[in-house]
Amino acid sequence: MSETVRTETINTALGALERVLDRRLVAALEVCARCGICAEACHVYASDPRPEHVPAARAERVRAVYRRQHDPLGKLFPWLVGAKDLTEPDLDALAEPAFASCTLCRRCTINCPFGVDTALIMRAARAMLTATDRAPEMLVMLADAAIARGEHAEEFREIYREIVAGLEHEAQERLGDPTLRIPLDQQGAEILYVGLSGAHTILPAAIIFHEANASWTLSMFEASNYGLFLGDPARAKAIARRIVDEAVRLGVKEVVLTECGHAYAALRWEAPNWFGGEFPFKVRSIVEVLADYVRDGRLALDPTANPEPVTYHDSCNLARNGGLIEAPRIVLRAAVQNFVEMNPHGKENFCCGGGGGLVAIPEWFETRMRAGRKKAEQIRAAGAPVVATSCENCNLQLTDLNGYYDLNVQVVGLMELVVNALLKARRRHAVPLPEAA
Amino acid sequence: MTPAWAIILLGALAVSVWGLWGHLRRTLARPWRPELSRAAGSPGRGVIYAFTWGMAPWAKESTRLHLLAYLRGVVFHVGIAAGLAGLALIPWRAAVPAAGEGAIAVAAAAGAVAGWGGLLVRVTEHNLRAVSTPDDLFSVALVSAFLSAGAGAWWGPRWTAPYLALGALTLVAIPLTKIRHCFYFFFSRYFFGLFYGRRGVVGGVQHE
Ligand code: SF4
Ligand code: SF4
Repeated sequence: MSETVRTETINTALGALERVLDRRLVAALEVCARCGICAEACHVYASDPRPEHVPAARAERVRAVYRRQHDPLGKLFPWLVGAKDLTEPDLDALAEPAFASCTLCRRCTINCPFGVDTALIMRAARAMLTATDRAPEMLVMLADAAIARGEHAEEFREIYREIVAGLEHEAQERLGDPTLRIPLDQQGAEILYVGLSGAHTILPAAIIFHEANASWTLSMFEASNYGLFLGDPARAKAIARRIVDEAVRLGVKEVVLTECGHAYAALRWEAPNWFGGEFPFKVRSIVEVLADYVRDGRLALDPTANPEPVTYHDSCNLARNGGLIEAPRIVLRAAVQNFVEMNPHGKENFCCGGGGGLVAIPEWFETRMRAGRKKAEQIRAAGAPVVATSCENCNLQLTDLNGYYDLNVQVVGLMELVVNALLKARRRHAVPLPEAA
Repeated sequence: MTPAWAIILLGALAVSVWGLWGHLRRTLARPWRPELSRAAGSPGRGVIYAFTWGMAPWAKESTRLHLLAYLRGVVFHVGIAAGLAGLALIPWRAAVPAAGEGAIAVAAAAGAVAGWGGLLVRVTEHNLRAVSTPDDLFSVALVSAFLSAGAGAWWGPRWTAPYLALGALTLVAIPLTKIRHCFYFFFSRYFFGLFYGRRGVVGGVQHE
């Protein structure tokens, strides 16, 4: 039997696969019975029902390589068990299923009789592609830029201070309260809040923390972690390290991440694995903090500020893969007048189609719009003119779907709705000025 | 059962156990990377869920939508259990009451129908055809043939020899073919329960 010549690239890709091949991955690769029942669970298949969009078909590309390496029959009679030598064209062809048509949402996993973790397999594929320089350039660039920013933090510090001072002024004006502060580098603060690049994740948080009388400080860095999308723990760890070091230096009790699904997946769930243990601080999403504030009565909210029906899109990273299902609902029930559930929702919610880093890759715009068809149908069926979400990636994707499918809805973050409700309550409680005689 | 058949079947069983032992060793030789993040829920309860309620047809959208496929799978696997139990009992067949003989025959027959039906679906449904390997077709056909022979053998002794032969072949095929998913099932469901239980998604200990 002729064996395909192994190039340096193939060796590198196989090496990357070997490095991630732990017991969980072996089980996911071995157990699939190819029953096909996962097909409709995947939003990509549900939106564009082609055999190659069946999760098991996507994973077969990696399984075929695994079997050739590790299955006794795969070594002797590859045709019998669907085993295949990895070739460079195979690697090239793996980029689309791994990075564009699988968002690592794990909806197939919860619908599989074996619980096959297809996302884990596709992450292995991403690791192979990243190791052989086949990952989307944009993701690599964003990850490396974040690492560079961490390495040159001192150079950014003063510029950042100036930007934050401007934001502080804006927040004061919006709230009508000159005592509002956006603290930076506050030693001993309880919360280190990590936003994203863009004022929209900092301004509402500043207003909320001020109103809740929280002890907080703003991080120098952004929460997103593109290393996670690349399946590259070294890059992901370097990106997370910036926040971990900052939190330890400031001695905070908890790191609170802005509305971002993958940032939560990265720092809350994955980063302890990269660092070899739990952190000396808690990691929470702002969604959990908001739910606590609502429950503890720390925020006066007037839901009439958001009178239109609002539906909620669960980010896969926060809900199905992060367990934050009830928290956003506690917040919504307090902040809006008419909350309507999408069907299905919670852990069964469909991915918006922009997860897994896809929303950042311009060349795959059409792919993600097609993959979002199921979500667009869900939104239409919910019939609410406002769609809330707690994830920046989902927000971007839903906004694009809104235009692409003419949904005619408004896409908003949870914090925005809370700030609306909070400002209205504040105005209502304000003592009116005596009328001029 | 003649001594020759006993030797063949015990040999096949030994190959099967030895093969699965090899899988166990190879799997355990791989790193175990437990999640180190603070648990939000209960990993233990997640594992219990994974092997109990999590297997119920109403627990998953996929089985709610495809109840027939789910039932076909259940009947097939109950049939396999009956077929293997029947294989183990065959030397003591004379002591098995008629009701027991009938139950094994019926379960195996139903399993065989489900198996052949599944094979038909696999070759006619375009998604399944696309994801299937020759191993998938061979394995389902082998097990279905084994169950058919088992149903025949427990109905009347004429089918005993094919039943024993196909039983031996099935035992040998377990570690070599996709049939070994029966072994990896336990790993996979365990990891599923651990992962989602820890994150407070399943198992009753919710996040918030
Ligand atoms: S991943 Fe699960 S549901 Fe999908 S084909 Fe494999 S065993 Fe079936
Ligand atoms: S993880 Fe999500 S996108 Fe990927 S195959 Fe499964 S359902 Fe589809």
